[in-house]
Formats: sequence, C-alpha cells, structure tokens
Amino acid sequence: MATPVSVLRLPKGPDPNSRGFDPNSPRFVALCRTSISTSAAEADAKELQREQRARSALRERFLRCLLTMTNKKVQFHMHEKVDVEATFGASDIDVLNFQVSDLHTPIGVQKEALIRCQDVISFTFDM
Amino acid sequence: MQRGWLHSGPLLWLQYVDKNVKLKVGKHEEHRGWLLTVDPVSASVVLVNFREDGASVRVVMGHAVEDVEVLQESDPETAERLRLFLLPPTTSSLDPEELSRRRMGVYRWLEKNRVPVEEDGDSLRVAGALTILAPYRPEDCCSSNQIILDRIQRLIQSQPHLLKVDPGFDSIQILPGFSGSQEL
Repeated sequence: MATPVSVLRLPKGPDPNSRGFDPNSPRFVALCRTSISTSAAEADAKELQREQRARSALRERFLRCLLTMTNKKVQFHMHEKVDVEATFGASDIDVLNFQVSDLHTPIGVQKEALIRCQDVISFTFDM
Repeated sequence: MQRGWLHSGPLLWLQYVDKNVKLKVGKHEEHRGWLLTVDPVSASVVLVNFREDGASVRVVMGHAVEDVEVLQESDPETAERLRLFLLPPTTSSLDPEELSRRRMGVYRWLEKNRVPVEEDGDSLRVAGALTILAPYRPEDCCSSNQIILDRIQRLIQSQPHLLKVDPGFDSIQILPGFSGSQEL
C-alpha cells in the first residue's frame, strides 16, 4: 500500500462515499461545479475507461507533487499582487483549501492557517 | 479559453503532459515550463523548470489558467527526468539485518501492547487494517482507518528505544546504560 497523502478533512464533512471524483455528490456539485461536465459518462463505456485511466494517472502525479511539497517553504501568489510565504502542510481532497504553517503575512506571522485556493493564482517552491 | 480549460477533461489534459508549455495566467502573467501534470479535480497545472542545482516548481490553479500553448514536444530524456521527480524519497539505507532487528523490535512492542500484528514480508500488518513499512517509524504507517493509524503511530512513538537512529540514517548512537538485548 502506498504512502498516504496528507489530506485535510474539513469539518463540513463530505459524503463518505464521494472521493472528489463523483460528480453527483452534493458537496462536489456545490463547490466544484466546473469539473462536472468534463465527464464523458454519457458517452460509451470504452471512452469512459480511457478517461478514468487518464484521470487517475494525472491525479496520482499531482498527489505525488503535493507529497514532495510537504514541509517545504512555498510562496503563494495571490490576487492584487499579494505574495506570501508559508510552510506547506496539506491540501484537502477537492483542492479547495491548503493547510499551511508559519504564514508570513503583511500583518505578522500566522502559526497555522488555511488558505483558500480560490484566492491563490499560483504557488512556487524549489527542490 | 478560461472555461475551456476547466472543462477540457482528462484526455485533453493528458496530452499536455511532459511538454514544454507557455501558460497565460490571469490578465497579464505568463509562465513557462515542463508540464508535469494537470490535477483532474481542480485543473491546476504543475510546471517544472530545471536549474543547475535542482528545480523550481510552479503550480497554477485551474481557475487562473487563461491559455495553454505548447512550445516544445516531450522528449524521452525530459520525460524520464520528470518521472523521477515524482518518485517518493529514497527509503533508508539500513542493511537488511538492521531492518529485520527493527521490525522484530516493533513487532514485539506491539504484541506486548496486545495489538494483533503479523509479519508480511518486509512489512508488518496490524489488525488487517494497517501496514508498517521499513524502517518502521510512525511515519511509515499506512492505513485508511484514521483511528487505528493515530493509535498505532502514538504507540510506536512511545516505544522505548535501545538504539536511537536519526532521520537521515547517517549515524546511529547507542544510548548509554543499555546492553545489546532487545527484550523489554
């Protein structure tokens, strides 16, 4: 069994059967409406299989990338040219929030913080 | 292209993998790099730029991607380099005998605490729900059950050690006052 990714579960509690890929889960519909129509579920089964395989390959790469980022210093580039630095902790399953430590903000250093992904344009780190 | 990128779907995103791309981000930004992956859940793009001494990685959130343009097709060398980038950090360089000793130590500690554990090749299997991989530290526990994971991690953390091994495995210090015996 592979090393688990650091995943933050928010108190709102997602549908226990949903893993972020289920387009019908209420949480997903409410928060990630944009991804829903990318599913070719209506089309033929073979297409769906190809799509799912692509989806897993892409997601695995992304999760491994998140793993390498853990406990590293990351610069978040946000709206209005705001740049902040923090130590990356974890992401939640739908990539809606990042948990970080030692967030350097213009008003001081936050020991622990949640950053909303909607507020982030991009983030960088060095290997 | 904004709504287009978010709706492109995994098959289209997959086509950009391992290629050198130019991203138009927001209104005025542009970023280039080798595309490592696109997260299918958020459509976020991971770009890698190799430097002499490592690499710099930029993740652009899906909602900010305006346009993606391919600058260079993938080549096997870079593709391999990107693939290696994703591999988990190399595990310990402890020799098999030392690993076996550590495994037995953890095994006996769990048994002593009445935890159902069995050996499963090089790893330990706890209650059929948790696996402990070499070198059997708390962070080497894997389980989909959060409660068991937490309990076993705390238990291993509290195991009295005869040999103190530092995380880099560069040195092993023997605590004074203990003989070579592992019996607790």
